[in-house]
Amino acid sequence: MAIGAELHVASRYLVGTRRWTPVVTVTLISLLGLGLGVFALVVTLALLDGFQSGIRSQIEARAAHAEVRPTSGRRLAEPDRLASLLQGRLGEVEIVQVVRGMCLVGSGTGAVPASVVGRSDTDRTTVDSVLARRLGIGAGDRIEVISARQRLTPMGPLPVRFTADVGRLAPPAPGDEAGTVELPLDRAQRLLWGEPVVGAIELRDPADPWGLGDRARAILEEAAAPVRVAGLVELHRPLLTALALEKIMIFVAVGLMLVVAALNLLCNVAMVAAEKRKDLAVMAGLGSTPGSLRRLFLVLGLVIGLVGSVAGAVVGSAVAITLDRTEALELPSGVFMVSAVPFEIDPATLALVVAVALGLSAGAAWLPARLVARREPAEGLRYE
Amino acid sequence: MSERPPMVRAEGLGKGYGSGPTRLEVLDGLDLEVPAGQMLAVVGPSGVGKSTLLHLIGLLDRPDRGRLALDGLAADDLDGNRRAGLRSRLIGFVFQHHHLLDELDALDNVALPLRIAGVRAAGARDRAAELLDAVGLTGRASHFPDQLSGGEQQRVSVARALAMRPGLLLADEPTGNLDRDNAERLFELVIELHLKAGLTSIIVTHNEEMARRCDRIFRLAPRAELSSDVRTV
Repeated sequence: MAIGAELHVASRYLVGTRRWTPVVTVTLISLLGLGLGVFALVVTLALLDGFQSGIRSQIEARAAHAEVRPTSGRRLAEPDRLASLLQGRLGEVEIVQVVRGMCLVGSGTGAVPASVVGRSDTDRTTVDSVLARRLGIGAGDRIEVISARQRLTPMGPLPVRFTADVGRLAPPAPGDEAGTVELPLDRAQRLLWGEPVVGAIELRDPADPWGLGDRARAILEEAAAPVRVAGLVELHRPLLTALALEKIMIFVAVGLMLVVAALNLLCNVAMVAAEKRKDLAVMAGLGSTPGSLRRLFLVLGLVIGLVGSVAGAVVGSAVAITLDRTEALELPSGVFMVSAVPFEIDPATLALVVAVALGLSAGAAWLPARLVARREPAEGLRYE
Repeated sequence: MSERPPMVRAEGLGKGYGSGPTRLEVLDGLDLEVPAGQMLAVVGPSGVGKSTLLHLIGLLDRPDRGRLALDGLAADDLDGNRRAGLRSRLIGFVFQHHHLLDELDALDNVALPLRIAGVRAAGARDRAAELLDAVGLTGRASHFPDQLSGGEQQRVSVARALAMRPGLLLADEPTGNLDRDNAERLFELVIELHLKAGLTSIIVTHNEEMARRCDRIFRLAPRAELSSDVRTV
């Protein structure tokens, strides 16, 4: 049978009838099932993408996009030369020399361990909100930073320490639970090392945050510098892996709805095959091959799958976009980084959902189609 | 010039249904030869296997035993696709219950075999219109089966059977569901088309009067040796 004839008969089964028949009823049920499954998956994934996109934006906005580190140890050799080299080759890129360590940070009420970061692009003391909450301090309060490094005094060895006024409070870096105090580079160097040691060079390029690591790596490999370069992906691998894993698990879990809808489609196509048993026998008598009868039911399943999944995808996308634009689902302030539930439609994810729905529809139609193709035509006529 | 082979040659044809003690042998060792151009009536009591014989000859079912050749071509060992191809090219069916597709109008029902064979929609519909004209249903082309009378439904069915210009017409009690007048008109139509198209026709019927108007009558009996073959002209 030519594909035109299959499409012709399948389309008449689906929409060409002039009265309400069981075929139309089961078709609508199948469409509804698949549409709802795709709708749920699209909205759920849009919600997830919305939140994950917010996290990625936070990373891009606040964290370094690439970092140059020594291949071993904690001291970066010739940091000024490397910084000049990168600045010369990369152009409009923010380059910051940093040194990191752990200290005790105290206020009048107590002290807690925290990360200390010295940066060449700041001249004041910044405390993130996690540490500020732990210490019970705010902007303008005085803190004391106590290093593990010691110096000899007439009273014996004492830890190096200094006091500073908190210039401002900053939001925490994603995943930072200990808290961080940020200092001017020279003060951090004196505190942690007692000499001008640079631990790493941070690079930021808002125009190409995810590609900056590769570009810097190429430049430094060409210069044979004994350093390692970590891009945005390497710097945040655990978090990004967790986000990707979360998306996969949600896709699989909510995607089970599509499997249930496909099983419903299988039952319904099998019912159509039983109802149209006589038609199939007649068509076989008129020259339809077993393969073409199989294709007829595959076309039926695919048409139902296509209409159902496209309708579910369109409605799901429209709902997600509307909820995002209207900020209809508000979130408690101070708990989340955003004030309303964000939704984001990723075209690749949308295409994947529709493709999975179509694949499941074809699979669901394949089994009854196979059974139909195996029958001798006379079987369908014998019971008339 | 070589002699044309018979349109149908069946040797020792056997077919049964079911298994074990409930198995029923419907046909057993049946021999039949139908020369090209002949109109054969198959008669016999209900359940004797007339429709089964027609299904076997029409390649709608496979025999358990015996050999079958159509127009000189051995049809026993053909796979499903080649059997379908042979049905499409060589055989036209008219069933007792018209078996038109409810979702297609008369024109599309007649065009269906052509569409199945890959003929473009426009060409198929032109040929279908021609055939509806030939069976006297020009004005009923856009009517659906449930909008046609029983006689009209069977005439559409006859038109559909002839769509692919078959060499062999198989009709399974085509007048079985019609009143006397409609049955008479349909049979006249079948005879006319049989002669006009130079068909070989095998017609299963209970109507002795109609059977006698065929070239030959094959009386099917419960046991093959009791079957008889009568030439009427």
